[in-house]
Formats: sequence, structure tokens, C-alpha cells
Amino acid sequence: MLSDIRVVELSAPETMMAGRILSDLGADVICVEPPGGAAGRRMEPFLGEAPGLERSLTWHALNRGKRGITLDPATADGRALLAELAGAADIVIEGAGPTAAAPSALGALPDRVIRCRVTPFLSDGAKRDYLGTDLVIAAATGAPGATGLPERPPLFHATPQTIMEGGAEAAIACLAALVARDGDAEGRGQTVEASRRLAGMLSALSIPVAAASGAPIPKRGPSRAKLAEVDLPAILPCADGWVILTLAFGPAFGPLTGRLVGWAAETGALPPRFAEIDWREAPKLAETGALTTADVRELVEGLARHCAALDKESFAASARRLGLLAAPLYDMHDILRSAQFRERGLWSAPVPLGPGGPEVEDPARFFQSAAHRIEVARPAPALSEHTAEILGGELGLAPAEIQALFVHGVI
Amino acid sequence: MTMPLEGVKVLDMGWVMVGPYSGRILSDLGAEVVKLESAKRIDPLRTLGPFKDGVPGPERSLSYHNFNAGKRSVTLDLADPAGREAVLRLVDWADVAIESFRPGVLAGLSLDWPDLSARNPRLIMVSTSLLGSTGPDTKGTPGVGTMGAAMSGASLLVGWPGEAPVGPHGPWTDAITPRFILPAVLAALHRRRETGAGAHLDVSQAEAGLQFYTPLLYAAQANGTSPSAPGLSGAALRAPHGVYACAGEDAWVAIDASADAPWARLRAEVGGALAAPQFDTLLGRLRGRERLDAALSAWTAPQDATGVERRLQAAGVPAHAVSSPVDLARDPELTGAHYARIQDPVFGEGVIEGPRLRFSRTPPRPASRAPRIGEHTREVLAGICGYPPERIDEMEAAGILR
Repeated sequence: MLSDIRVVELSAPETMMAGRILSDLGADVICVEPPGGAAGRRMEPFLGEAPGLERSLTWHALNRGKRGITLDPATADGRALLAELAGAADIVIEGAGPTAAAPSALGALPDRVIRCRVTPFLSDGAKRDYLGTDLVIAAATGAPGATGLPERPPLFHATPQTIMEGGAEAAIACLAALVARDGDAEGRGQTVEASRRLAGMLSALSIPVAAASGAPIPKRGPSRAKLAEVDLPAILPCADGWVILTLAFGPAFGPLTGRLVGWAAETGALPPRFAEIDWREAPKLAETGALTTADVRELVEGLARHCAALDKESFAASARRLGLLAAPLYDMHDILRSAQFRERGLWSAPVPLGPGGPEVEDPARFFQSAAHRIEVARPAPALSEHTAEILGGELGLAPAEIQALFVHGVI
Repeated sequence: MTMPLEGVKVLDMGWVMVGPYSGRILSDLGAEVVKLESAKRIDPLRTLGPFKDGVPGPERSLSYHNFNAGKRSVTLDLADPAGREAVLRLVDWADVAIESFRPGVLAGLSLDWPDLSARNPRLIMVSTSLLGSTGPDTKGTPGVGTMGAAMSGASLLVGWPGEAPVGPHGPWTDAITPRFILPAVLAALHRRRETGAGAHLDVSQAEAGLQFYTPLLYAAQANGTSPSAPGLSGAALRAPHGVYACAGEDAWVAIDASADAPWARLRAEVGGALAAPQFDTLLGRLRGRERLDAALSAWTAPQDATGVERRLQAAGVPAHAVSSPVDLARDPELTGAHYARIQDPVFGEGVIEGPRLRFSRTPPRPASRAPRIGEHTREVLAGICGYPPERIDEMEAAGILR
């Protein structure tokens, strides 16, 4: 879909997902690193749990599909070549440096170029001088403040979310500017900005609008429903892991709860009388005392017994058959084994992890369409892998010139 | 000044969050968005809070406003042939259509991709559901974002080591999926300019969530490990790096001063036990992490989290309060450059989020309120679908406009 588009990505952790998405959509993405390697090469986890510039699995996962070149922006030649490369691109993406207020690494570019900056906080906001790292920006989104157990510290994701969220929003900003350029008689680009904090705030869902609404402010913790003063569970242990289920009532959700309870009664985990309760009316029944605290405790214990007796796959199959809002908690191996993901075509051709490294499957196809099939054209670039190809091919440098640049540490 | 997607027309048939928020981003970017809803089976988001002043009501949900700002709303009965014809007229008009029905539902109404693309070959249609519309497990499977989080691997990995998983906040994949829908839609708009052809984009919410976990998926394959919940991502390799309790109920500040330069500045600011020579080196800090964290916690404990944030940022140390809902509402960056005040005919003033992205030449649309249920039905049927007033009256009398 973007086969006519050239992207130059000045690699930073927060640009990697943006370049990855644009590459998935068919753009030619060139990732530019300093001669010592981009910061993303030092991000865990590592291949074989051993560090090395070609061993970061975060680097591999977020840079496959791109070509890579090294250029030292601290040298005059490095700057000139970067300006030439960026000036010929449709889209140029860069991180912001330590703060949103830090100057761009690039000088002026032609009007047609779309320039995107991924900033920690807004460059026109009160926190433009704030230093941001993934942990600190994530804390500012409101999502960790709502995640975890009451009385315990807030919880964060197991991968750095704000580089993912900021990068994905940057891809949206770049492509919206591209559509705007397509529709502009003069074909003008512009400068766009994706702030990692604002991007990450989406994962806080309604938390950002909670306090000003005047409604009671939610406390941290899994938003757990209660019935007859009993906490209703969501995540429960099963025979080989964990499952999540939904216990909700009223006209829309009551029938689903009824089917779940009926299933548990069928297996003997709950007495048959539970299957006869009209779960649409459960809150009213609890109010009138027709459903007691002891009943609901028995329900919760019975459901726990029911789940504990099932493995993830048989739980999932029955939940699907019954149309329940319930699912197993997959681990990465479950995901790799899942017939659903595989038959649907999520996985691209295996991607090698560096020269001589093992191959892994990549869940590249984040959408399915007859109009475009996402392919991973190449593994993540080894350091400077395409420098000679790009300087010689795209910029027309002679072999001796390329060698001279190397001798002088520019590449 | 023009907006990035000025002139793009969107039919939003989604509900709850993934479809509607995708439509909201398109509206922010300047597209004209018509939301199709039902007064008989209202969008569940209208039943979810927070409600203005805590008073429930289908027109009082700030979540609904936040994810539907700037749209017009039309109510139509899709099961009625006349309602279906009106939808097809909206399809004639639209560049982009978004739907998030359970897989198979639109086919049952003869309103799925083959029908719509026959009607408008330039249409770009997004279908989104928990597992997507193909594959052995998908047919009839209902989905919510907590299930998406579970099936994308995230729920198992947010929690404390060795304890029951906790999972991310709320229906997590509802927030992630729009970030994969939008690039696909925008790229399809770019492609259509050359080819004239529309596209059907089928997006699974569980698969979208997995995109943010690919490093761990690679690790599981290449290292043969089964990644487990780390508590705090990155903490094992960095110190100090974590959250520290502050004064007040459930108040925390995140501090990341593992690198030498911010560490030196933190140490100069805090002094005390942090000055111990043991902490001169990263290895010393990692080995003495418990003492280090205890010393830092003792320093933060009597202080206000936002105060620590300001003090450390001024000293050049990356730090931020773990923002609570109240912190967000008062945050100077957000009140100054993000939040938008809306005026609503039902509840008066409210605050929602503004557009997230910045554009130098084509600024996005300023945020405005979301529509009331069916607020623009007559206007849309006349202006877009081309029905004369007497036909609209007939449809209304026949109960199709609900």
C-alpha cells in the first residue's frame, strides 16, 4: 500500500514501532544509526540471554523489514549525507532526545518531506523540559496508577509500552500527513508530533476523564464487581494455568452468566439449584435476600472448582461453544500453538535473528486483507549492513568515497 | 486552515471502544464521521461511567463523549429493508466504514464486505473483533478487551512474580487495536488515490495486542523460555528504577536514575544513605538494591509525589508521579495543552481529551461533544441519503429510525 514511499528513521527506541508499521504497510524504511549502534540494540531481552549489538530481541522484533545504515551526525560529512538522504525521503521520523524541547538532529528539509518527532511529553506543553524514560512516561499516563492490587505498588507492563504506543501513534501521524499531502495541490509535507505520554494515556481508558466528571473516583485494583457483598472473581486458576471469566448481570449479560453457571452445574462443580436462578435478576435477588452472601460464596467456590478441573484448551473450547465472555490466559507458547492464529495467517515467514542466529516466527500480519499481505522482507539489519548499498545506490557515492568515509569514522 | 483528512467521510458502525475510538481519531484528523447506533440496543459504552456528577444516564457518560467526540449520530433498524437501504446510501457516501459486530452478524444482514464493496468499490472497510473474521475459533465468538488481553499474552505477564496474574488495566486491547487500525486505513486511502480500489481490513484485537509483546514472543522462541510476570519491566537490569511510596493514600513516584549522569544528580539531591561508596557503581547499586530502594523510599515517604516529581525533574532526574485520576485532572501539561471543555445540552459542562497528535500545517479538529442518540438522524437521512421529508416521516412512523 505504501510501495511508493521512502521512510528515513533516525533510530531511537521510540521510533522503532513507527518504522516497523510503515514497513509492514509496504514502505521502504531506512534506519539510520550512529556508528556505535542505535540505543535500541541495547534493549533486553537478549538472544541466549547474552548481550551483544546483534542480540537484542527488542531490536530484532521492531526493526525487521528495514534496511540499516550508519552515519555519524557529529561529523560534517555525516550531517551532509543525512540531509541528502532525508531530503529525498517522503517521511522522516526521529526521537526527541532527552526532552521534548531538545532541538532536532536535522536542519531544514524540502517542503514535501513529512517530519515526525516522537516526544516524551508535548513539545508545546508545561512538561516540555521534562526528562522521560519509559518507566517515567508510563507512570504519567494514568494506566499504572489504575493497575495492580490495592495496598501494593502499581504494576507496569512486561514490555516498554510508551515506546510501542508513541511509535504506533507516530505511524498514524505520518500517514495522516501523507494523506494530507496527497490532497494538497502543492504536495506539501509538514512537521508532526506524537507524544508518548498522550499516546500512553489511551491505555488508561476512561481514567483521564474520571476526576473532572464529578463521579466517584475509581481506586486502583482490578475493577471487580460485587454481589451480596462478595467480590466476584475474574482470573481463576485452571488445571494448567489461568482463565478469565466475566460474571455480570442484567438483560445483556445475565444470560451469559446463566450459561456459565449451567455449565458448572452440569459438571457437578455447582449444585443444580444454581442453574435455575435467573442471573439477569441477580442484583435484585441479592437485595431482597433471595440470594444470600453464603449462596454467592458457594457460587464463587464452585466456579473455582469448575475451572481448576479444566485445562486451558478444553475451557476455551467450551467457552466458545457456549458463547461466554471467558478466555484462557495464553502464554507465548500457547499463542505459537494456537490453530486460530496460525490458520488465520498471523505468522509471516520465519525471521532469522542475525547471521547464523535461530529463526523465529513473527506475528506480522496485524490485519488480513486481499488488498495487501504483510510480508517481512528481511531480518533486522546488522549494524551498518546496508551502508555501502545505500550510499552507493541511493546517493551515488563511488566505492573509494565510501571507504574514505569509513576510514574517517563517519560510517 | 484545512485538517489532515478534510473531505474524508466515515460511517462508524462500531460500538463500545475499538470501532468508535478509531472513528474518533479519524474525526480528530478532520474526517466527517457518522455514527450508526440503535436506540433499542444502545451502545454499552453509554451505560459505562464515569457519568457526569456520578448520575447514570445514556447521555451522561464521559467515556462515551471521549470516544465519540465530534461525530453525528443516526439511529436505524438494520434488520428492516428500508433501514438497510438507508445504510447502503451511507455506504455510497462513505470513504471508510468501520464495524465491530460479532463475526457473521453483518453477513446475516447482507451488509458485509461483498455487499458493501459491490455497492461502493472505493470503500475502505474495517472489520474488527476479538479474533478477526477468519480462523477456526472465530465464528460466533463474542469478545471484550479483557479477553483480548488474556489471549495476547499480556494478562499473564502483568503481575507479581510467583503470584496469581493481575492483568493490565481494564479491557487493554481496546486501547491498542485502534493504533493498528488507523495506519492500515490511512495507507489504504493513500493506495486508493493510485488504484481507485477500496479494501477490506480485518483486524483481530488479540493479534493487535500481541504486537506490543513481540520481544517476549521472540524470547520464548529463541531462548526457549516462558516469560513470566516481572513486576516492574526492566527493573532487574537497572537501579534505582522503580516506584517509591510518597505521603498520602496510594501515592507513588516513579524514578529512573540508573544511568551514571542522572544517578549523580539524584545522589546530590537526596544525599544521606545514597552517598555510600557502595552505590558509586551500577554493579554496586544492583547488588545493594534493597538498601538503595529502602533509602530512597525513606526520602520519598514524607513527601508529596508531585513535589518529588518537580524537585527531581528540576535537578535533571527522570521522575514522575504515578498519576492518579486526580493528578491527571490537575496536571499542568494536560490542562494546558490536552483536555478540552465541552458544552452538552443534557449535563452542561464536561471535560474530555483533545486530539493526541500535533500537525504544523493542518491542525486537527478541536474536540467537541459526542452526539445524543439519533440526534442527527433526520439531518443525515435528508442531507446524505437524499430522502425527502415525507419519506423520513414514513420511516419514522414505521419505527425504522430507532
